[in-house]
Amino acid sequence: MERVKTGIPGLDEMLWGGFLPQTANLVEGAPGTGKTTLGMQFIYHGIAACGEPGLILTFEEFPEQYYRDAASFGWDFHQMEREGKLRVIMTSPEVSKVDLERVGGRIERLVQEMGARRILVDSLSHFERLSTDSVRLRGIIYGFVNALKREGLTAVLTRESVALLGEAEEPDSGLAFLVDSYILLRYVEIESAVRKALLVLKMRGSNHDKGIRQFEITSRGVEVRAPFEGREGIMSGSPRRMMDSFVQAFVRR
Amino acid sequence: MEDIELDLTGRLMADMDPRLLEFLRTKVNSFVKWDLVRFFHDNPHTTDTADNIARYAGRSLEIIRTELAELARAGVLEENQLGDMIVYSLAPNRQIRELLEQFVRASDDQQFRVKAIYHIIRGMQ
Repeated sequence: MERVKTGIPGLDEMLWGGFLPQTANLVEGAPGTGKTTLGMQFIYHGIAACGEPGLILTFEEFPEQYYRDAASFGWDFHQMEREGKLRVIMTSPEVSKVDLERVGGRIERLVQEMGARRILVDSLSHFERLSTDSVRLRGIIYGFVNALKREGLTAVLTRESVALLGEAEEPDSGLAFLVDSYILLRYVEIESAVRKALLVLKMRGSNHDKGIRQFEITSRGVEVRAPFEGREGIMSGSPRRMMDSFVQAFVRR
Repeated sequence: MEDIELDLTGRLMADMDPRLLEFLRTKVNSFVKWDLVRFFHDNPHTTDTADNIARYAGRSLEIIRTELAELARAGVLEENQLGDMIVYSLAPNRQIRELLEQFVRASDDQQFRVKAIYHIIRGMQ
């Protein structure tokens, strides 16, 4: 089966080779967990290694921020823009939504002109200001996601979660139905140090690694490492040693 | 005596590329417009409403709305109807884009900035 590789060491293996083409893939996590870096790496890898031009749709950060952050990993986004392989577009959810609904809209024209195959939407959380009605909001995001697929794009959509450490809120079940894969990034506290964990919660149409893996943001970008071993309750933010849980559960005090 | 000094200052301040002087006098004739053209220079693919552009620029909507409309009339920006929204983007006109590039590059020079500020203040009086 054809796969769209993210180029992120460890993640493609978890996804059994990469995302499926023309799918919407949600990456959710607290601020600083690396959602945008993961998305930028997906775009960079597409351009640099797969010959697939990409778009970055930003609803908050200025493009300059992306160029700067990318440069810190050695990814020259300025050069990629000059070569017509990348466009960083600062816009708003309401404008991009209506633009994509039109025939021959600005984004559609850009996709065609560049031959874009990948898109990073940073972040989907901004759609939440378009409606307080969850059913209507789901309809809006559904239309937006389908328009991206219609354009032949494989999308990484980021979404902020408010929980930093500790008991995280329930994953958004409404959004989970709209996307094809759902990746959760979490901070976890282990022996007084904060580490990062990644879980592929769902992947429609494909098997995937169900383990919870450690990951780090290195000078080369995101690198997914080994699973957390001998611990449980990782996604709660405060994992326990399995032995402790065993003792708690079975040994009378 | 005062008139002679003013005339001399005026001539000194007008010592810049005539195309840029014209651009300043007829298109970027306020500090808000200066901010806006710089914003669109740095974000050339942005298409958005006055409301959102005001937010990005950290200015009030009332001020931004008029200035955006004037920049559109001057041909620096494009004003389009998108559904029920009016959106602004950088005009695709190549001459305008080159002029904007030249203007932003020149603005890095302090002497140019002093002259540009002089012309904007004169124009606002």
